[in-house]
Amino acid sequence: MLPSNQTLSGALQQKGVNRRRFVKFCTAMVATLALPPRYVAQVAAALEKARKPVLVWLQFQDCAGNSESILRSSHPSVLEVVLDLLSWEYHELVMAGAGHQAEAALERVVREEKGKFIAVVEGAIPLADGGVYCTIGGRTAWDIARHVCGSAAATIAAGDCAWDGGLVRANPNPTGAVGIEEAVPGAKVINLGGCPQNPANTAAVLVHYLTFGELPAMDQFNRPLFAYGRIIHDQCERRANYDAGRFVQEWGDEGHRKGWCLYKMGCKGPQATFNCPSVRWNDGTSWPVKAGHGCLGCASHRFWDTRSPFYDRLPTVPGFGADVTAGEIGLGVTAAVAGATVIHGIASAVRDRMRPPASPEPPTKA
Amino acid sequence: MIELRQYAWGEVHRPEATSAPVRVYVWELPVRVSHWFIFLPIVVLSFTGYYMHNPFIVAKGGTTFMMATMRFIHVVSGFVFIAAFLLRMYWFFQGNSWSNWRAFLPLRRRQWRGMGNMVAYYSFLRKDLVHHVGHNALAAVTYLLMFTFMLIEILTGLALYSQVRGGSVLPVLIGWLPRLIDIQHIRLLHFCIMFSFFAFVIHHVYSAVLVSWEERNGLIESIFTGYKFVPGDELEEDAAVRKAD
Repeated sequence: MLPSNQTLSGALQQKGVNRRRFVKFCTAMVATLALPPRYVAQVAAALEKARKPVLVWLQFQDCAGNSESILRSSHPSVLEVVLDLLSWEYHELVMAGAGHQAEAALERVVREEKGKFIAVVEGAIPLADGGVYCTIGGRTAWDIARHVCGSAAATIAAGDCAWDGGLVRANPNPTGAVGIEEAVPGAKVINLGGCPQNPANTAAVLVHYLTFGELPAMDQFNRPLFAYGRIIHDQCERRANYDAGRFVQEWGDEGHRKGWCLYKMGCKGPQATFNCPSVRWNDGTSWPVKAGHGCLGCASHRFWDTRSPFYDRLPTVPGFGADVTAGEIGLGVTAAVAGATVIHGIASAVRDRMRPPASPEPPTKA
Repeated sequence: MIELRQYAWGEVHRPEATSAPVRVYVWELPVRVSHWFIFLPIVVLSFTGYYMHNPFIVAKGGTTFMMATMRFIHVVSGFVFIAAFLLRMYWFFQGNSWSNWRAFLPLRRRQWRGMGNMVAYYSFLRKDLVHHVGHNALAAVTYLLMFTFMLIEILTGLALYSQVRGGSVLPVLIGWLPRLIDIQHIRLLHFCIMFSFFAFVIHHVYSAVLVSWEERNGLIESIFTGYKFVPGDELEEDAAVRKAD
């Protein structure tokens, strides 16, 4: 299998992907990357000439959801092109090899393609107790990540767990899980947050890399701006209902049936940036808000801790139970101050009566 | 012989005043303007802000623009509030000795003693109030705390607004904050501090009425007119204390 010198267009033709479908794919990728349409030709030309880069897909503390997401992308062009875009040499979920042979394949990639291959990481990396909470073939995830990602041209952190530790890192994080950036500080990482990540964005990052030879522009979390640069709320199809003040009050009520805004149901769309509403899922069919459920902000930094409770607008106040909202505490404090003021006022009036009378003699002008 | 009721403190249970009242200009125009242009926007901001937290008015059909209108009013009054706040901050350095920053920062032992006196008065350990021409030391540190809370509201508000507004200036000015604290916790802070304003306003109005009653010097009116009516010797004492600082 290694090294593959085949060009992408050759591989696609072998697979029976015709030119029209290929250009359609390039157009979709240019749109996802938020590039002007004139780049379609450039992207197509670059992809046709590109040598298939080698890719290894590592899985650590994960649920395989990101692998499922990319494999289940029913969009034929995305699936075929993404799978054919790259020479996948190692992917635990789907590879045929097993045991020492599979590990040897990974080792061969690291040795022979050093500095040239792309690593995709899925899942968090536990650092507690020397990283013993996730081991593969007797090696800790931490060790494998440092070895593989340290040698890769670029590492794609697919999904929240690989980005910031995700669910695994959520409080209280018993295994000391972290994302790839923290586990391997030297690696060149691009983070694709989301639970799971969107395969269209993964494909777009790869297309950008193959076309321009570099990773796309990124934000402070090293997430590509084309996918994480805009607020979900600003792209939401229910936004008009928000502005108008039409809100779902409870699940299944009239407003919910009419597709009103899910703001009061704890939708985190106003606090989340992602291209979820425009790229969508399952062939661009739908996304959570369209399906009638508020956004959880799954592409936000450490969203399990920062965006919960998922069905309330605000986080709970530390030190109070999960059932007490900030509003209840605030109103309680205000009422307590008002009550104390009334009592103090009565007491002050009493004090006023009890004070000894002063001399009634008025002052003379000084 | 002067009529007993002519002087505010003439009633029998007041501590004896030893000199005639002097009309003194305590609160200059910027202090009064900033006071009201901080208060009024806070009322509007609290109402619209609470609506934005929990939209309790639900539009039923028709052409409404409820949430968008609330947000517009919130943003506009937010900037009025910021302007008034900045005016007050400027007057910390330009104002007279009663509105100057020196009157607020408790850097002197006299101010700490004054706070002790006020706490003792409020907790009924003292019979009588120590009179002040400007703020008493306890009120001053309370205002300092409220100014700090206002600053936090402004910073968190701008951070939340910059997320919506985008642009190039605002994110540069305030972009560091959402990197430091998650936007949801910024939102929680912004919401919770609102209640400290509620509690403060209740206490502030009450204590103003109480102290005005005790001192009989036109304290309530002074936030409209700027003038207080202070016994001459109290004024002299106040000036002497300030000179000693």
